Amino acid sequence: MLMFTLRRLSLFFFTMVLLSILTFSLRYFFPGDMLINISGQINANAAELKQLATDYKIHESIFNQYWQYLTNIFQGNLGLSMASQLPIKNEISTLLPATIELSIMALTIAMLFGIPLGFIAAIYHRKKIDNVILTFAIVGHSIPVFWLGLLVILMFSIQLAWFPSAGNISLLFEIPQQTGFLFIDILLSDNPYKWQAFINALSHIVLPASVIALAPATVFIRLARSSMMEVLETSYIQAAKTKGLSFIQIIYHHAIRNALIKMIRHIGLQFANLITFAMITEVIFSWPGIGRWLIISIGQRDYTAIQNGLLVLSVFIFVVHIITDFIYALLNPLARGRRYDA
Amino acid sequence: MARDKIYNEEEFPSPLQQLWVNFKQTNVAMVGFYGYIFLLLLAIFSPIVMPYNAMESNLDLLLLPPAWDKLGNVSYLLGTDSLGRDMLSRLIHGATLTFGLSFIVVVISLAIGVLLGSLSALTHGIKSSIFNHFLDVILSIPTLLLAIIIVAILGPGLGNTLWAIVMTLIPQFIHITHNAVKEEFSKDYVLASRLDGANSLRILQYSVFPNIIEKIVNQATLAQSAAILDIAALGFLGLGAQSPLSEWGTMLFSGLDLFYIAPWTVYLPGLAILFAVLTTNLVGEGLRHAVKMRKEI
Repeated sequence: MLMFTLRRLSLFFFTMVLLSILTFSLRYFFPGDMLINISGQINANAAELKQLATDYKIHESIFNQYWQYLTNIFQGNLGLSMASQLPIKNEISTLLPATIELSIMALTIAMLFGIPLGFIAAIYHRKKIDNVILTFAIVGHSIPVFWLGLLVILMFSIQLAWFPSAGNISLLFEIPQQTGFLFIDILLSDNPYKWQAFINALSHIVLPASVIALAPATVFIRLARSSMMEVLETSYIQAAKTKGLSFIQIIYHHAIRNALIKMIRHIGLQFANLITFAMITEVIFSWPGIGRWLIISIGQRDYTAIQNGLLVLSVFIFVVHIITDFIYALLNPLARGRRYDA
Repeated sequence: MARDKIYNEEEFPSPLQQLWVNFKQTNVAMVGFYGYIFLLLLAIFSPIVMPYNAMESNLDLLLLPPAWDKLGNVSYLLGTDSLGRDMLSRLIHGATLTFGLSFIVVVISLAIGVLLGSLSALTHGIKSSIFNHFLDVILSIPTLLLAIIIVAILGPGLGNTLWAIVMTLIPQFIHITHNAVKEEFSKDYVLASRLDGANSLRILQYSVFPNIIEKIVNQATLAQSAAILDIAALGFLGLGAQSPLSEWGTMLFSGLDLFYIAPWTVYLPGLAILFAVLTTNLVGEGLRHAVKMRKEI
């Protein structure tokens, strides 16, 4: 396990270095003045610009510039947003938690529906239920997420009026920001209407999270189906059968556990996809998250925001990757011994 | 195959031919395939098939509902939009823009990706290792995010989004080709032709490529369904094709203001995207099934 941890951490470090080089090099590609693009100070006068140039070490070698870039990131000095003139760090610290909440909720929904459906499909392989579930998986995978979002709003927010269609909580509730995660903040607050606020926030998150969840859920269905089918063909299941265990016992005690372990790795890999859907869905549901902020930033030519948004979202995805890798290794001893190769 | 064998010659179908024989046996896959061919023909011949000009507005016939509605008009089968443009013509023209361009995008990125992937598979050592890790980093960033960054550099517009999508698809092709070529090179038949004196390029051309083409085609269908969704999504977000163009995502976005008065301006482009992605996915699914069937025999 130690070797595994070290190898994973060194890979993570290497990945981060490559990612930082990628985001660092973006400054040379964005149109406009580089110094303004990276600092975000659009109203700076000549003296201030000169000061900025020395701060960012623009006139020194590219290695010094890169080193200064890394130092700035670790000091939390990400510059100002060119559109709002607020520090990027503050913006991200309120926006990123909203996206994390939304994506975790979506991932949970996708797993809760996708994995059991996939298992059922595998157990009834080549029967009617299997076909129905597979058809659902293919159609669900093909629906464009923005269209689905609009239909869901029309159906559940406007015609049935079950759920609100925009934002993450009703403006009636005043929740002081502590952690940035709305649900945690609500529970921490001493508002007398805490539980109403909690229910309200929950009803806001249901629709966007379900819309995001559909496509990953269909992927989980197929992965769960194939991993369950693989497990059902292994010799230990055959052995359990010959021991005379009933079918239900085999499924519950032997098959599900082993099939689930195989799934964990794929969950991490699906996460990047999920973030893509979350970015589009945030726009449709006016969710105050980082995806919507990034897309608006393009319209406003806010290059500071774009550069840092890419960095933050990618780091988030890599962290999720490494966490799922560790969970997988903890649960599955076979994975620890295997030599990593790319 | 009832065929008289006059000579004692055994005929082996190439991997691609075998794939087609297996592919034909699944009905659903064939339905998807016909749908795919239909869209492809529509994309090529859209200027001939369109009943009206897709850009031409007719101010007398604003927001005409589809023909099955009481207020509809049969000469405008799917109704008109807020500027009186014929929806059917716009959707057909959109087939060229969304589906046809996604096809071209995939072909370009396939060509570049396969070339780079097979070259990288032939190199060894630290260069190859760094290259692989770099690819892994790029592959873990969501494609839409990457496309957005590239659009931010190049500026919004249909042409720029196409390049952005090409650049996000290339790493996937490199990755799949790299792994497939590496896998084939460790097999015995490659060793046999190497012992015959063939150099790496020759092995690649005559031994390896015919055997990995099914993997690449499979990846191409995945890439195309992603490309259709990305083109439409970027159009919808206002970063891709701009308003007068009848790209499906852009059409959907411009119908948004009148969603309640004229729901067909939103339903129809959405259905068109769904149909295009569905047929592509069905073809891909059929291919994967055919490959599996062949491996099981």
